Amino acid sequence: MASTQSPQHQFAMVFDLNKCLGCQTCTVACKTQWTRGTGMEAMWWNIVNTMPGRGTPRDAFELGGGYRDGEPVPGRLPGRADWGEAWDFDYDEAFSPSSESSYLRPREHDGSAPRWGPNWDEDVGGGTYPNSYFFYLPLLCMNCTKPACLEACPRDSIYRREEDGIILVDEERCHGYRFCLEACPYKRIYFNEQRAIAQKCISCYPRLEAGVAPACVRQCPGRVRHVGHLDDPDSHIHKLVKKWKVALPLRPDFEVEPNVFYIPPTMPTAFDENGEFDEEASRIPLKDLRKWFGPGVDHALATIEAEREKVAGGGQSELMDLLISRNWQELLGPYTEDPGELPTPRRQ
Amino acid sequence: MTSSVEAGVVGARRVRARGEALLDPGSGEWSRAQEVAIPLVPTPLDRQPSAYVQVAWADRPRGDIREVGVAALVNAGTLAVRLAWSAARPNRFISDVNVHPDACAVLFPANGSGFEYDSMGSPSRPVNGWHWRAGTEEPFAITATGIGTVARATEHDVKAAARWSDGVWQVVLARALAAEGVPLSHDMTVPVAFAIWSGAAGERAGLKSYSPRPHELRID
Ligand code: SF4
Repeated sequence: MASTQSPQHQFAMVFDLNKCLGCQTCTVACKTQWTRGTGMEAMWWNIVNTMPGRGTPRDAFELGGGYRDGEPVPGRLPGRADWGEAWDFDYDEAFSPSSESSYLRPREHDGSAPRWGPNWDEDVGGGTYPNSYFFYLPLLCMNCTKPACLEACPRDSIYRREEDGIILVDEERCHGYRFCLEACPYKRIYFNEQRAIAQKCISCYPRLEAGVAPACVRQCPGRVRHVGHLDDPDSHIHKLVKKWKVALPLRPDFEVEPNVFYIPPTMPTAFDENGEFDEEASRIPLKDLRKWFGPGVDHALATIEAEREKVAGGGQSELMDLLISRNWQELLGPYTEDPGELPTPRRQ
Repeated sequence: MTSSVEAGVVGARRVRARGEALLDPGSGEWSRAQEVAIPLVPTPLDRQPSAYVQVAWADRPRGDIREVGVAALVNAGTLAVRLAWSAARPNRFISDVNVHPDACAVLFPANGSGFEYDSMGSPSRPVNGWHWRAGTEEPFAITATGIGTVARATEHDVKAAARWSDGVWQVVLARALAAEGVPLSHDMTVPVAFAIWSGAAGERAGLKSYSPRPHELRID
């Protein structure tokens, strides 16, 4: 319903998929910081999925939402069985085992064994041996420039911050209708059944306001996550997205103009049928890469390859320096304050 | 039973019953009320305030419930309105991320007259309503000044009780005559409108069945 005006700055992130370990430290950092309240047990505002995979919730990118030729695409609401529950574990049995085959079993609320959950298909991957492949894909709210969630809400309960373009749900206004969740093509909005409100990644805006990087960014041991302002020409974000054009939106065909960008996965060289290196082939089918990261992926991969070669040959590369970020603070953009040095905020 | 009923006019008959009895949809007191069948229609799609909702519901059936039975009783200080409708598959609470609760509402002009029920009020003519949502203990007392502006009062005196049996919801919404909200008193007539949301049909927000014209509620 609401129109979105251009914010003063655009908060944005770049994730380097060639460095992500799939460790979920980001996921747990977010969980610990934000989703421990009532009704949030099964929420993972940040999640890292294994690709190719069905995602979180199950078949996340097949459920509709976003736009096609500017028209909203109807979406379907995933159910709890698609998201996965917050499991219980039989600690008693694990600590005082009744048999040698006892282990820490996860259980759903009705006692049954889980059949789906976050990053459920972690160890599936794609391709056929010896050209198997997989990569990790961290996901959170994309703070879109054309936020389908915001448009879908009949109550104007979602807004885009004027100062940095961060999309937030006003929990006081939200009546739990869930059109936002239907409309988000990435399915990065959760529904709190107990409070009957929508909740999602808030880009750690209270941390940003104190000059501290988001928890997922600061905690990432892989140095995967760059943050900053897309409109700041000196930022890593601007250089990677606009100058080098190696950081790409996910599923640009959703037409929501996300502000999270990905360095696409380069892969080990493929083998031909004789077991020899095939320099021409791609382990990940190019058509899949183009579907996930758009038509810019060819140029991005070629650029990364060329710059790598340059460094391997003893040369200098601004792009490689950016991606490596030898000083990890460089990843944090303007948000370099150490949270440990700040006064502890009072719990509300 | 009242002797004569004008079409679509709901009479709130005065009874001596205690408030608790009025609030019980199954109480014998309700046999003294005259239930009026009010026809409902789907809310117009072009009035939904988001392009997403308009597109997503263009080919979906809306306005699942086409009739609500309305009865009313009043005692010395409380008005109770009972809504009854068929729901073969009730959604009694939000049992999953993709489950919407059944709901109903009674709507009045906030000032007692000048009823812009069709647009959920306007800034100069707000509406005031009582909104029950299955699985939520407290009903909501709402005001609105147009579509998409519904605000819930943090404190209010509206009470609700509901029961579902044999495929029928019966929901009583009640308020002390003297309490905050639309002015209510004995010996008065106030315009009223009704809405039902079928959770099983995915209805919520502006997607609902509503009475397409205002009705009268005559309080004895
Ligand atoms: S913390 Fe960093 S390396 Fe680990 S899963 Fe998250 S993004 Fe990947």
